[in-house]
Amino acid sequence: MGNLVEIKGLSKNYLSKKALNNLSLDIESGKVVGILGPNGSGKTTLIKILTGLLRQSKGEVFIDGHNVGVYTKSIVSYLPDRNFLYNWMTIDDAFKFYKDFYSDFDENRGEKLLDFMKLEKNMKISSLSKGMNEKLNLTLVLSRRAKLYILDEPIAGVDPVARDKILDAIINNYNESSSMIITTHLVRDMESLFDEVVFLREGEILLKGNAEALREEKGKSIDEIYKEVFGE
Amino acid sequence: MGRYMKYEIKGSYKFILGVLAIVLILTTVFYSYQFKQSNMGAIGGVAYLIMFVALFAAFLYIVDSFKKELYEDRGYLTFTLPLTGNQILGSKLLVALMWFIILGVVILLYNGFMLSRFIEFDISFREIFSVFNTETVAVGMTMFISGVVTLILIYFSMALGRVTFRNKKIGGMWFAIFLILNGLIGYTTLKITKAVPYYLDLNSFKVVTQRAIEQLSMLESMNFMSINSASVIVSAGGRTFMNIGSLIYTIFIGVATFLGTGYLIENKIDL
Repeated sequence: MGNLVEIKGLSKNYLSKKALNNLSLDIESGKVVGILGPNGSGKTTLIKILTGLLRQSKGEVFIDGHNVGVYTKSIVSYLPDRNFLYNWMTIDDAFKFYKDFYSDFDENRGEKLLDFMKLEKNMKISSLSKGMNEKLNLTLVLSRRAKLYILDEPIAGVDPVARDKILDAIINNYNESSSMIITTHLVRDMESLFDEVVFLREGEILLKGNAEALREEKGKSIDEIYKEVFGE
Repeated sequence: MGRYMKYEIKGSYKFILGVLAIVLILTTVFYSYQFKQSNMGAIGGVAYLIMFVALFAAFLYIVDSFKKELYEDRGYLTFTLPLTGNQILGSKLLVALMWFIILGVVILLYNGFMLSRFIEFDISFREIFSVFNTETVAVGMTMFISGVVTLILIYFSMALGRVTFRNKKIGGMWFAIFLILNGLIGYTTLKITKAVPYYLDLNSFKVVTQRAIEQLSMLESMNFMSINSASVIVSAGGRTFMNIGSLIYTIFIGVATFLGTGYLIENKIDL
């Protein structure tokens, strides 16, 4: 399979701080890639560049052969690490919004996911709890049949019950032909999802490879390797 | 673009309807009170004041809504939509203009309706529409263009404020940029008006010089309509003249700041 994402020599500087430092990475179609690292390692910066919310200082990014722009935004389904929906919306409005803007939005899948998450369409977004908001955001993002899913810390800040629900939704609704990038520092909860893992520290790749091969090679789980690498 | 406009309208219509409802209630109460007091003298001034406050409230709301895109989490949704910067900006601008026009027209019509209920009119439609002569239409159009350009300039200042100083969120920075840009544009408009003293006679659509208008004004007094202290419309001798250079310059500024804002939000803003 070809590369869906190609990142070449990517750097992002904030004044004197380097958030990303000459990072190169290819992501194949059909792979789930875990971008792992502690807070401040550059995970969110990388994702924001891929989604067009940040501009790189140096380097190139191609998604499906295109520079980040209107086309790539139409094929990337992005879950930010915050409540990004407009406050005046109901869940029904949010569904219609996604349907209007994304031709790959699968309403049937959305309805099923909504049911699974125990959310009602007439609920107002401003009245949802943090956990419910996370579930709704994930419902919308996974209801798209996108080429690339980007999930930024999808289970951070939610209780263990909601966490399991979110993980189940990701596993059950992920398209085999799509790629998925997931950032997290909660490695133990998510490691079963990953085909590939990339360990980031201070904007540089410390270690990357096939998750299963790494487990075999090191004789440890990805979570244990993470703790070893980052000294936790 | 139509899709985004739809959600802009959905997101703002409750506020606009709220403003409209308050204005209509206030207008009704005010007219009834003044009629009981048999004091119709203050009606004009207060009606204008109510309309100004309503339009200003809508203006603040619309400006704040754009600011939220740049400074709050909703930008994560807006700026990851498969739309260009110009499409997002154009939608916001068109919806804002739509609200201003609706508010202005409804408030004016309602004032006319209230007046007709309390005062016996003996004037025909022809007389009412005689208010819309070349001068008032030209002044109205100039005010409209000036308002649109000011709104775009505010959007531009906000986008520029967001991308300066390495995208640090500095509160009020945009307003300082707006004041400086507005001052600069006012100054250059004045210079252009003086440097290119040619006016379009809106009655005959012929180009005339400032000297010719001055000769006309020797006979009758002149009225000026100015934007940023530059005289863009002059009335003299029963005719209305529009300064060609400043009009073109104002439109140019509007187009340039629109495209500039579109470019900034598409290529420069770091959220």
